[in-house]
Amino acid sequence: MNTAGWRHVAVLLALAVAACALGLAAGSSGWGFAMPEIVWQIRLPRVLAGFGVGAALALSGALMQLLTRNALADPYVLGVSGGAAVGALSAMLLGAIGVAGWWSEWGIAAGAALGALGATLLLLALSWRVLAGAGSGAQQEAPVSLLLIGVMIGAACSALVTLMLTLAPEAQLRGMVFWLLGDLNGVTHWSAVWIALMVALAATWPWAHQLDWLARGDAWAATLGVPVQRRRRQVLVAAALATGGAVATGGAIGFVGLVAPHALRLLGLRAAPWLLPASALAGGSFVVLADAAARTLVAPLQLPVGVIAAAVGVPSFLALLMRGPGRGSR
Amino acid sequence: MSASFRFEASGLALRAGASARGRLLFERLSLVVEPGQRWVVLGPNGAGKSSLLAALAGVFAPAQGQLMLQGRSLRDWRPEALADWRAWCPQFWVDPFPASVVETARLATRRGAWWNADPVDSTQLAQVLAELDLRALADADVRQLSGGERQRVAVATALLQGAPLLLLDEPASHLDLAHQQLLIGVLARHAGEGGAVVASLHDINLAWDLGDHAVLINGRGDVVAGTRDEVMTPQRLSAAFDVAVDQVAVCGQTRFWVGPLRKDLP
Repeated sequence: MNTAGWRHVAVLLALAVAACALGLAAGSSGWGFAMPEIVWQIRLPRVLAGFGVGAALALSGALMQLLTRNALADPYVLGVSGGAAVGALSAMLLGAIGVAGWWSEWGIAAGAALGALGATLLLLALSWRVLAGAGSGAQQEAPVSLLLIGVMIGAACSALVTLMLTLAPEAQLRGMVFWLLGDLNGVTHWSAVWIALMVALAATWPWAHQLDWLARGDAWAATLGVPVQRRRRQVLVAAALATGGAVATGGAIGFVGLVAPHALRLLGLRAAPWLLPASALAGGSFVVLADAAARTLVAPLQLPVGVIAAAVGVPSFLALLMRGPGRGSR
Repeated sequence: MSASFRFEASGLALRAGASARGRLLFERLSLVVEPGQRWVVLGPNGAGKSSLLAALAGVFAPAQGQLMLQGRSLRDWRPEALADWRAWCPQFWVDPFPASVVETARLATRRGAWWNADPVDSTQLAQVLAELDLRALADADVRQLSGGERQRVAVATALLQGAPLLLLDEPASHLDLAHQQLLIGVLARHAGEGGAVVASLHDINLAWDLGDHAVLINGRGDVVAGTRDEVMTPQRLSAAFDVAVDQVAVCGQTRFWVGPLRKDLP
């Protein structure tokens, strides 16, 4: 494939390595490589988890954008992270009332994935008419209605989350709240999100060029031989799985899925075969760097990484929204 | 250009929205498209031109009738294989993300696995961009283009798909006079090299220049298909569009004169 694409990917790989090195070196106990125990037992799992979470969220964002033909789509904005939070908190509550065990971590991950899938299905069901109208000329309000539907799903999910927090036993409340804020503090398990990421990538990357066609219209993609409905379902499940894995591990960290693909498109990485892996690399690096900042900015206090991500993500989202998708003269 | 082909529609009937309860657009349309032919599809707004083109492309289910390519029903073709034979250019395009003219034009060139690095034929790409006067715009973002410029990119995308049969839904919309003539030249070249074109148009003079065959849908359920001279008579056109139409010779060329609405005639 083209050399510019390879160059970008090489730069992103270097960035990822540098971000991880920085993440290992930075900490609330000071800069540099501290005691081996701190590096290997605290920082390394945290960096791996952070990278996996960021990569999964960014991949999910890129997939949702292609699926909804909307550069503003993001698991957090569209309420999918909210659905994952509802699923994960339900699993935690079940764990609290005694259904616990060695599988509880996997239970939370599965709950989050199911919640994300539920929210995605609801989103697509509600916006089906809008999406199916593509290519018929009735396109103008599509991005806005999709966002509004997503925001409403997010609002419903946060109401459910509030309900569950009210019902939750006192002992678990603090952990739940911190987890909801988008927090990598104390994360030791990183394998679930990496598995979700790899499965999602394997289920979408081989068909990436077809996603570029689908983004231009369902009927046109069908004339090129794309099994439209099957491919949509596949992408949907992959995006929900990646979001679920990420939310189960790191909580609801917002805007990674928005910022990473957007920045890459500005750099010229636009074709989906490049965009999907590049988004994963960029999103992983972004979260690792944001987490390093969260740990060191006000050390020894640790900020939730979601705060840093939102500080970058919200202005990017607003800038995208203001500029709008149709600056052209059509 | 690829081997010879034969595309046949017989007893075609279409309903609006491809649903059984939809309004009947037309019935009993039969036509055969062969290499070298240039078909124009004419008719008033809502008559079913776009639906006919989508049905020929296989993405709009006909209420009745058969569509056969190489003697095999379209439904029996593998969709990927069909893409090698016909390219469909819809009337409306969605450009949700930034993409350059070149990126958009060659979207459909590579249809197998994306990691199979068969390089895009750069001479063909350059030729099509030049033919459609898009060279200066090659790196422009498609979302910043004017309507006519975007339309030319859409035709380039369809041409570069490499299929002999082009199904173009209003390829001349938004085009200025010079680019209309350019488009006709490009489509004539495509047909001359063994391809075929089916295109819906609104300008009957342009349609006359482009087509050698025509389909006229009158919007009241009737359709007629045949050679250009059989179908594009002033009487038929006048009846279909409800305006006065006359055929005149200007500088040795056949032109249509279009007058007021028929109900306003004395």
